[in-house]
Amino acid sequence: MDDIDKELLNRIQSDFPVTSRPFLAIGNELGISETDVIERITRLKESGIIRRIGGNIVPTKLGFVSTLCAASVPENRVDEFADVVNQYPGVTHNYQRNHDMNMWFTFIAPSMQEIETHLDAISRQTGITGILNMPATRVFKIRAHFDLS
Amino acid sequence: MLSESEKKVIAAIQKDIPVVERPFRVLAEQSDMTETEFLAILNDLCQRGVIRRLGATLRHQKSGFEANAMTAWQVPENRIEEVGQKMASYREISHCYRRNPSPDWPYNLYTMIHARDEGSCIEIARKISVETAVNNYELLFSIREMKKTSMEYFSNDDDMESV
Repeated sequence: MDDIDKELLNRIQSDFPVTSRPFLAIGNELGISETDVIERITRLKESGIIRRIGGNIVPTKLGFVSTLCAASVPENRVDEFADVVNQYPGVTHNYQRNHDMNMWFTFIAPSMQEIETHLDAISRQTGITGILNMPATRVFKIRAHFDLS
Repeated sequence: MLSESEKKVIAAIQKDIPVVERPFRVLAEQSDMTETEFLAILNDLCQRGVIRRLGATLRHQKSGFEANAMTAWQVPENRIEEVGQKMASYREISHCYRRNPSPDWPYNLYTMIHARDEGSCIEIARKISVETAVNNYELLFSIREMKKTSMEYFSNDDDMESV
């Protein structure tokens, strides 16, 4: 990665231009050509630094609810538990963490009742009870921009 | 709530924008609309805050932010507003939420701390703990990413029924 790559990554993490030729607009801002922008972004995607370019939707604006769930799962059953949980399309993130409370996943669904029904089903299927359901009650900060300079 | 055209734009934009000269024309054609219509609706959805952020999502592990720690803090409820605002002001913290505590898990404030390595995360958490006078907290490092995807809204007709 050179300095132009870093500048480009800083620029395109948010406010992606909503115009007919967005890569031309970005190139004009950074003083490089549209072709150069397209080639660099293509390379940064191929090398895996860019996961995706797209829109992040606010679930509540579409009438959905979201929550953070946590469970304490014996080490030798982590994979099995993850397989069951990950089957739900509403589970978007799932991490094993270094704590007794070791499984942390996010759940998005049309209603909290639906999420509770799914959590009950997960408990029945895996025998893991006491899954915590912790929707955010107050949001102080959400930032997904990382300064690379 | 949302028009059919708006749902189509959301369905298109939650995937990957193609890296070509006119990416929105490609997405518009796939959604059976004109590029002009698509751009107008997309712009409106951004203005209204339905789309929180339009842009690239990076893999932090590959971009120099090697480590992140979810930190769960136990904050007296009468200090939650003050402490939440304070924690949100740190540049190392990307996310900060209040969540309800439970008897076996008393933590009520959650932050995501990002740094070069785990040691730095621990140091930052210690500094924040001192500066906010919140002493009871847990750092949870991720050992394994078991799933990371984006939610798919309106990707087929069945989904629309449930909204």
